Amino acid sequence: MTDLDPEHTVSEPVSIPARTVDGQKPDHPNLPPRLTDIPLTDASVLSAESILHIEEVKLWYGEKQALFDINLEVARHTVMALIGPSGCGKSTLLRCINRMNDLIGSVRIEGRIKVGQDDIYAPDVDVIELRKRMGMVFQKSNPFPKSIYENVAYGLRIQGIKERAVLDEAVERSLIASGLWDEVKDRLQESGLGLSGGQQQRLCIARALAIKPEVLLMDEPCSALDPLATSRIEELIFELKRDFTIVIVTHNMQQAARVSDFTAFFWMGKLIEVGLTEKLFTNPRVRMTEDYISGRFG
Amino acid sequence: MTRHFENELRDLKFSLLAMAGQVEEMIALTQQTLQERSNAKAERVSQLDQSVDESELRLDQACIDLLALRAPFASDLRLIASTLKIVPELERIGDHCCNIARRALVLNLQPPVLKGDYLQRLGSDTHSMVRRAVDAFVNGDAAQARAVIQDDDQVDALYMQIYSELLRGMLADPLCIERSSHLIIVIKNWERIADQASNIAEEVLFILEGVNVKHSYLQGPPKS
Amino acid sequence: MAKFNVWWRRGSGFVWFSGATLALSLLMIGGLVGYIAVKGLGFFWPTPLVQAMTPEGPVLGEISSHEKAQGEDAAKLQFHVGNRDVYGQDFRWIPKTALHDFSTPADAVLVERLEYGPFIGRVKSLDQGGQPIAQGEAALAAIGTRLSGAVKLQRTIHRIEKKDVGALNSQIEALRIETHRAELKGADTGPLAARSQQLQASYAAAEARLATLRTEAGAVTVTLSTADGQTKTLPLASIVRIVPANALGVFGKSRIYLSRLWEFLWDDPRESNTEGGIFPAIFGTVMMVLIMSILVVPLGVVASLFMREYAKQGWLLRTLRVAVNNLAGVPSIVFGVFGLGFFVYGVGGSIDKLLFSDKLPTPTYGTGGILWASLTLALLTVPVVIVATEEALASVPRSQREASLALGATKWQTIRNVVLPGAAPGILTGLILAMARGAGEVAPLMLTGVVKLAPSMPLDGSFPFLHLDRKFMHMGFHIYDVGFQSPNSEAAKPMVFMTALLLLLVVVILNLFALRLRSRLRARAGGGGAF
Repeated sequence: MTDLDPEHTVSEPVSIPARTVDGQKPDHPNLPPRLTDIPLTDASVLSAESILHIEEVKLWYGEKQALFDINLEVARHTVMALIGPSGCGKSTLLRCINRMNDLIGSVRIEGRIKVGQDDIYAPDVDVIELRKRMGMVFQKSNPFPKSIYENVAYGLRIQGIKERAVLDEAVERSLIASGLWDEVKDRLQESGLGLSGGQQQRLCIARALAIKPEVLLMDEPCSALDPLATSRIEELIFELKRDFTIVIVTHNMQQAARVSDFTAFFWMGKLIEVGLTEKLFTNPRVRMTEDYISGRFG
Repeated sequence: MTRHFENELRDLKFSLLAMAGQVEEMIALTQQTLQERSNAKAERVSQLDQSVDESELRLDQACIDLLALRAPFASDLRLIASTLKIVPELERIGDHCCNIARRALVLNLQPPVLKGDYLQRLGSDTHSMVRRAVDAFVNGDAAQARAVIQDDDQVDALYMQIYSELLRGMLADPLCIERSSHLIIVIKNWERIADQASNIAEEVLFILEGVNVKHSYLQGPPKS
Repeated sequence: MAKFNVWWRRGSGFVWFSGATLALSLLMIGGLVGYIAVKGLGFFWPTPLVQAMTPEGPVLGEISSHEKAQGEDAAKLQFHVGNRDVYGQDFRWIPKTALHDFSTPADAVLVERLEYGPFIGRVKSLDQGGQPIAQGEAALAAIGTRLSGAVKLQRTIHRIEKKDVGALNSQIEALRIETHRAELKGADTGPLAARSQQLQASYAAAEARLATLRTEAGAVTVTLSTADGQTKTLPLASIVRIVPANALGVFGKSRIYLSRLWEFLWDDPRESNTEGGIFPAIFGTVMMVLIMSILVVPLGVVASLFMREYAKQGWLLRTLRVAVNNLAGVPSIVFGVFGLGFFVYGVGGSIDKLLFSDKLPTPTYGTGGILWASLTLALLTVPVVIVATEEALASVPRSQREASLALGATKWQTIRNVVLPGAAPGILTGLILAMARGAGEVAPLMLTGVVKLAPSMPLDGSFPFLHLDRKFMHMGFHIYDVGFQSPNSEAAKPMVFMTALLLLLVVVILNLFALRLRSRLRARAGGGGAF
């Protein structure tokens, strides 16, 4: 049926030019680049291989329960963001993954956390060995009062590695991976404390990367940094995703939206909702999540 | 905690409703122009169109500003993104009304062609669709929005009916070809307005449920 | 009044007040050091020898003190006349009215010698084999040229006596013990007897050499006369220094001053510590402080580590901490008594019974020695180190420990690589405080190993080089002994001040070393932190 309205301009059927993204033709021309690997359907995302299985985890500080029945899966080579208001348990859960909560005497934990196939709370687990499979970056950068070189090499030295060549290679590799190499390669013997805040945090990231962990745990790594340093570290997380799995705790929702593939929302020790980040931030299933991320409370 | 942002969103909704109100007024005036065969209202339609165009500019800017400055998520984001898409639909409805009014000016000088009230029905059905789509937006009524989308088929059928009628008339009596061709353009514009009302309803559904129901033939059976 | 209120509220008054108290403190410290310095440093400067006539005859000497007239007593002058072997006393108080005809004769000399204190008089002649080879002024010049040779000879004799003969003695003693042990076991003593013969032969040879040297030393003599005409003949080798005080210019006096100062620092004492040098005391003090530091730092650091890192933080630990802190308030003499009872008699006695039973009843470790003295002082200063170390350990931020643990370090690795290096500046602060306290304590030392005159030093050339069982000399004790226990307090007074000044100096130097080390550690740790 032809349209006879002269006012109505008919656009010529034009062929849409084949657009490429980074030299590759995507299947669907308008998908944002980072999602071309992951199909949009939830089912196939869930079948991506999980490296962390958190099952029915409960935690008490003395008499007070802080985590209630947490069930969470983290897929390999993805970034999982844990968001929620202060005191909701996200940092507590993060510290359970590398058993740093063991350092607090009054903590009691039930449930299982599996890294790969191994339950890390089994009675015969060597906590020291477990921590070598995890790298942790803290809220306030905490480099040791040693040289830059010694900071990065620390994790290897305590494992007994002494050969200069091995350490040199590891230091260079880690500093390149954390984007600090070009800035410090001529002053590796200078103290780590002489760097700026953002550089110190990247140094801490390099230090964690040097031991080649499987999972990188980041506890609000950018909260003490200015926006430029923050965005550098967020870029870094994109690149690190290729080789590591990252769990990041953040109270900055924009950061969670920018950086993560999956987001888990916590409230008062309970996991309220978890899902693909773009789903959670455009159309969350739970009203509380919607209210939180829109800033209606918390 | 009432956010400052809530006020801005409320203002946005009000502005959109104001614009929709003006557009609805244009539709009503257009209907009357056709029915009463009077030319006074056509002039008013043209004035309103300018106001609607101004509203489009203001609302476009307001949405961009809110996106830039407030970085909204979830339902707030859907509201603003959909508003950005509803606004041009409304503006085009206004343009179509202007087209109809212009044709009406010409048609009113000549004797009517059609028998029966099909033209009125087309106008009122379309008007109803637009009003209900806007109501669905105001009331957050997803069922109503769905109904509007369904009704587009009805309007399409009515359009086809009138069109066939006009074709038959032109074949029978060549003298009414000129008038009929004007009428064809008029009913085409009504049909387009109905399409736009349906699009608005689809956007309302996205705001309310976060589901994009366009191009259902691509999406496959709905998932739970 | 309003102006004053404003001034008061602004706090300027407090600023002035705090400045004033600081100034007062500095003044007191400066005054103390200055007083000691002035009294002590002037000691070595040659004073003019004044001759005066009294009704009893001429008197020649240094004017060492004076008293104003008080009531019935007239004004008096104190003359240091020396010549204790001739007069019987060094000092004489003479009323001013009895003196007249003051002069400073150019040929008057003060002769420092090995015995009987200084001789003040004139040189009559220089004799060889009893016959004078120079007289009067020529004699003075001749003595000047020969004196260094004579001094060297004397030193050689001294060295042979102390070192070679002493070493031989100890070898003979060791051999005797071995022989005794062998006899008890019934073993063959043939080779031992042969060795004994060898040693006896060496001993005899050394004695013979000493005899020759002594004769040589005794060959040249000097004859001196006092102001009132008495003469005295001395071997040249027994003269340490001859000072024609009135004939010297500033340059000459400065040379004498430096020479005396050098002797004070590097020579052994003589004349029951009232003359000569205090080198053994300096050495003993420094060595004791070093041994004490070596003992106290590990003890304090390890104890702190346990209290802070490993022990369960309960009420028992808190009580323990309070007890340790209170240790710092215990009087030092109590520590001395404890050291005597526990270390010297208890532990030392047991060591003697186990390891040195053949030397008994002569105690080796069962008596005071530098080891027990250092240990006692280490115990005394350990609370200071513990407190400072605990503060330092606590100042290492928790975030650094967490970072280390998160990388897979064990607790011990974290302590060794992160906590201890971070706490090192604070630990050194504790060490500085401990050294300052330990170097100054005298009471506990008196009971556990310090002596007035030690025959040998704890560190010498004979194996095993470090003799921890030996008694030692200490500057603090030296001050006490010389100032208040010596038979000749008047002569000793200036030396007390000089020793006190030197003690201050030693402590300051030790502290400076530690401070430099601490700032280097701080710089390496990247600065920051209160410690």
